[in-house]
Amino acid sequence: MVSVKSRVALLTLAVLVVAATAFEAAARAATPVPASSDGSVLNVTIPVFDPGIPADPSVFRDLQVFPRIRQIEAMLMPFLLRETLVKSGRWGAVRVTTKPDDAEELQIFGTIVRSDGDWLELRVRAVDATGSTWLDKIFSSEASDETAASHRDRGTPEFQAIYDDVANELTALRARLDEATVANIKGTSLMRYAAVLAPSAFSDYLEQNDDGTFRLLRLPARNDPMLIRIETVRNTEFLITDTVDARFRAFNKDLARTYRVWRQYRRKVADYEAWNTNFAAAGPGDAERGSWESIKHQYDAYKYDRLTAQERDRLAVAFNNEVATTVDAMEARVAELNGWVEQGYPEWSRLLEGLYEIETPLPDTGAER
Amino acid sequence: MYTLLGLIAWLCLAGCASEKSLLVEGIKYFDGEMPADFSGFWVRDYARSDNINKVFQNATYELARKRGANGPAGPMASERDMSRLIPLARLVELITRTDELTISQTEYEILIERRDDFALMCAFFDGIAKPTDNAFGKESCGWDGNRLVSVTDFPDGLRVVHRFQTSEDRKQLRVITTASSDTSPVPFTLRHFYWRVQKVPGKFECIETLSMKRVCSTGELEL
Repeated sequence: MVSVKSRVALLTLAVLVVAATAFEAAARAATPVPASSDGSVLNVTIPVFDPGIPADPSVFRDLQVFPRIRQIEAMLMPFLLRETLVKSGRWGAVRVTTKPDDAEELQIFGTIVRSDGDWLELRVRAVDATGSTWLDKIFSSEASDETAASHRDRGTPEFQAIYDDVANELTALRARLDEATVANIKGTSLMRYAAVLAPSAFSDYLEQNDDGTFRLLRLPARNDPMLIRIETVRNTEFLITDTVDARFRAFNKDLARTYRVWRQYRRKVADYEAWNTNFAAAGPGDAERGSWESIKHQYDAYKYDRLTAQERDRLAVAFNNEVATTVDAMEARVAELNGWVEQGYPEWSRLLEGLYEIETPLPDTGAER
Repeated sequence: MYTLLGLIAWLCLAGCASEKSLLVEGIKYFDGEMPADFSGFWVRDYARSDNINKVFQNATYELARKRGANGPAGPMASERDMSRLIPLARLVELITRTDELTISQTEYEILIERRDDFALMCAFFDGIAKPTDNAFGKESCGWDGNRLVSVTDFPDGLRVVHRFQTSEDRKQLRVITTASSDTSPVPFTLRHFYWRVQKVPGKFECIETLSMKRVCSTGELEL
């Protein structure tokens, strides 16, 4: 009887996992990567950046924050960081995700502090699976036309210097870790994932410290059947994540052209602003205070500045209009994929818990003798 | 003499105080919706609007009368007074010359678009006005009942005030524009009236885009 139950549960789990795989059989660019990275390289997840939109809408204009554009930047920028990390060859799978994955070997969080077309400031925080923070600092860079020219098909190549700096710092931090520390991060990552999915089987393998970090107490055998199932589920989840990632990449390419036009306009607006400042500084010449020339100059200085600001607002609306269809389609697709994972997750968890219960022999109490 | 000076000072103070008290920063002007809806496309009603020449003549006559400056044909303002008032009158003429206003109003802001000039903007968050300022001036807004008041202060003592009020049926709009400066003996005020016009929907739906500029379609736009 137990064996039949076990087989049914295994079969259901297999069907769910196969369904997940089939769901994205047409995953085109998706590349499944093992649940745990091999060797000494660490897998990296970069959740979509925090757009850094102030909660108070009354300050948007003062800070030149255009919420919709910030949201798009927050989706575009992680890709440049991803590509930079991949190119360095120092990391395992590097994924951009819509949500954080606390069990990932290394996560990189970004927050847009300032982005006005000419200047970019990003707060970057890197945290590994044990909860240890590798770095938490603000990187900034002025736009470079040189890098923009060599990466025309990408979102914000003008700020490549920032991504290079982040990648270099992370590589240097990784180089300081010995192999035992890296193995501990990998083990903790796998056990954190397993403990969430099948807490009965794996919660004893970890301990959370008072400061929120995790300590790996032990690891199951490599051929532990529950662990193998967990890895299968995780690989399935990664397959879906990689599909989302591939969608994001396509989206990035679609938006890059429009974003570049937006940046060009932003620069033109900056030129107008400089002209306005010069005009105001030049003053009305020898005109007497209160004269028509003096009054007209005062009015015009204000008027030109307001017209420039209003042109900037108009361009932001034009940008939103142009990308709206792409962004809506993208968001719908990502929501669909995420929804699938969110719906499947409790079911996987329930089945794994069931299997663990079935396969774990009851303690021999002698009551039935 | 003292009585006359006192009266002038009182009038000035009363005028200044009423505007200032309206536009104290941080005041909560309303709860919930804005006190009036100005949205729409408005065209000038020339028949009811002020004629600037007449208004200027009246202003100089009153100024001369107050000063007791008489010419051969009655009160006549001095050359100095005229030279101080004319720039304000020219400014008001310049900034009120538009014969169309497009006003859009959202939960937070009122945007008054004028041809050949910047759009006046009044933003309110939770009923509290959010001034718009730059190095060259400051635009503040407030409400006087259901009248919207927009005040732009310039660094050298120049001030422009617009007061907007709609008729009860929202078919007409009155805009009173006043320019004042400490260099001029009196402010200069002009009233304009507008009719609300329902724009006929066009055959095309158009939107602004960045790379393709204005994109129009006969149906729903798909980019």
